[in-house]
Amino acid sequence: MPNTIAKINPENGKHLVLVVEDEEINREILAEILSGEYDVICAENSLEALEKIETNASFLSLIMLDLNMPGMHGFELLKILQDDSTLARIPVIVTTSEEQAEVESLRLGATDFITKPYVPEVIRARARRYIELAEDRTIIQSTERDVLTGLYYKEYFFHYAEQYDQYHPNVATDAVVTDIIHFHMINERYGKAFGDLVLKRVAETVRGIVSQSGGIVCRRDADTFLVYCPHRDDYEELVEKCSVDVRDDFGNEAHIRLRMGVYANAEKDIDIERRFDRAKKAADMMRGSFSNNLTFYNNDLHKKELYNERLLEDVYDALREKQFIVYYQPKFDITGDAPVLTSAEALIRWKHPSLGMISPGVFIPLFEENGLIQKLDDYVWREAAAQIRAWKDAFGISVPVSVNVSRVDMYDPLLVETICAIVEENGLTSADYMLEVTESAYSDDSAQLIRTVKRLRELGFRIEMDDFGSGYSSLNMLASLPCDILKLDMKFIQNTDNHVNGARMLKLMIDISKYLNMPVVAEGVETDKQLHLLKELGCDIVQGYFFSKPVPPQEFERFIRERIEQC
Amino acid sequence: MLNIDALRDFGANVDEGLARCLNREDFYLRLVRKAAEDTGYEALKEAIDAHDLDRAFDAAHALKGVTANLALTPLHEPIAEMVEPLRRREDIDYSAWLIKIANRIAALRALVSE
Repeated sequence: MPNTIAKINPENGKHLVLVVEDEEINREILAEILSGEYDVICAENSLEALEKIETNASFLSLIMLDLNMPGMHGFELLKILQDDSTLARIPVIVTTSEEQAEVESLRLGATDFITKPYVPEVIRARARRYIELAEDRTIIQSTERDVLTGLYYKEYFFHYAEQYDQYHPNVATDAVVTDIIHFHMINERYGKAFGDLVLKRVAETVRGIVSQSGGIVCRRDADTFLVYCPHRDDYEELVEKCSVDVRDDFGNEAHIRLRMGVYANAEKDIDIERRFDRAKKAADMMRGSFSNNLTFYNNDLHKKELYNERLLEDVYDALREKQFIVYYQPKFDITGDAPVLTSAEALIRWKHPSLGMISPGVFIPLFEENGLIQKLDDYVWREAAAQIRAWKDAFGISVPVSVNVSRVDMYDPLLVETICAIVEENGLTSADYMLEVTESAYSDDSAQLIRTVKRLRELGFRIEMDDFGSGYSSLNMLASLPCDILKLDMKFIQNTDNHVNGARMLKLMIDISKYLNMPVVAEGVETDKQLHLLKELGCDIVQGYFFSKPVPPQEFERFIRERIEQC
Repeated sequence: MLNIDALRDFGANVDEGLARCLNREDFYLRLVRKAAEDTGYEALKEAIDAHDLDRAFDAAHALKGVTANLALTPLHEPIAEMVEPLRRREDIDYSAWLIKIANRIAALRALVSE
């Protein structure tokens, strides 16, 4: 392995040194000079040397190499060593009477150059120094490289990428993010050992190819690799070449395919990590696509990035100037003859002064990426609480409102205090305020999350599991999780229109919630037919465009008035 | 007989040669004996006679290293001198050096065989 630290002989504590010299007398003198401090083995020519180097690769600490030898010249041996990542770590001191060969020797990767006749003290001092240096370097390498693949860790990789730019300011470079398609399935199907073998093979292949042009590779995490290399035009070919068949000794076999996002001719005046963010954006474009495995960062992505940046810059002003408006979508109880307003869901809209109305589908994922979502959630919580208060004062009834609690909020140790304070400040009780936690947050299965939810429920807050059935839930999880209401993912409702199985699934979900004694809210109800089906299946509460889209507070008031009239 | 004094008389820089052999006299003398038996000198002459300058350079270059390491100065000097034109593959008259070398190796071999 490339980051194996050269070992010493445990019996005598000595490092192993190879003397390569065709002249027996020189060989003997050199061996004698070194044998006091080192275990010395000798080779008469380059071929014999290569054999001994390969056999002792992980133990060999130093090579003393003559150049002019019959058969293979010392330069050729140097070249072979330099091209082999494992062997290249072994320091080589060239020993020759050929003073002119110094520059070429160093160019070919020799560590140092000493001329004949030998000066024993000098030879021993240099041998000692270079073994030390090589060991230090190996230790550094073992901290900067991933143990499994031998590739750089992210931090060192970025450092070396920046260094590359400093040394090659005029070389056009590409930032590439690549990962293995369905790697988790490979791991699950064949086991971790095979998964590791796949990672090693992919790492070797990618590094083997891009290092030829001076490129560097890192394993960012799991099965994601980053490549920084001089610009190339053959990415299609590269994807193909890196798509390898992997077999192990136990008969497991898999064809590995890579997905690659390329930011070609990367702008050098933007931060190195951002260049890779762009490559990743290109790679993310392919998510879910089976046919496409190579995408380039392009103008559209660039425009989107600039737009997102603008939003991120403007968000603080927007919060201060209350450009965010909370809309309310009514939820109706359909257990009786006529639907009755039970509560509302608070949903945010951004009325941007120059960009106009911005869809939450655009800015919420963006803010979720960088934690800004917490500020936004806090804003909505406060606005919604104030609104419940205002309606209570104006109409004398409470319209409970549910607010979204993002995954990141659930890990905020002050969450419970914050929500209690908001409720209290507005003179409300926990019965007026409901919290929607997305199902995917539950799938973290974290003890902290469960504790927080339990604590909130103890305080009387009702917890709705949002987007239930959107892909993360397991029935097992459902039985053990604390929540009060299940909110079915819209797709369940929409799938009922043309698919018999869709309706059956919906029935199953509703039956499960009944069994668990949890009311079900169906969102995304758009048609009369859907409403009737839900009613028939025993769904309790519905929400959707069939009744009303999310509306500003003033418009919502008509539902409150209707409700009062119903009473 | 080959011994340190005889080698010193021969002109070898014995102190330097010995130091390189970690002042182990027996080791040094054994290597000198081996150097005296080296057929490289004959190979050098043959190559020059045949105008095979590549082979001549290789032979001279090898002898240069060995004689330097053993501090056999009388042999090393002419060899080191002729290596330079040989490196440039100059087809010149090398006989003066070859004669010197032949005489000195003969003297060394005489010491060894005594």
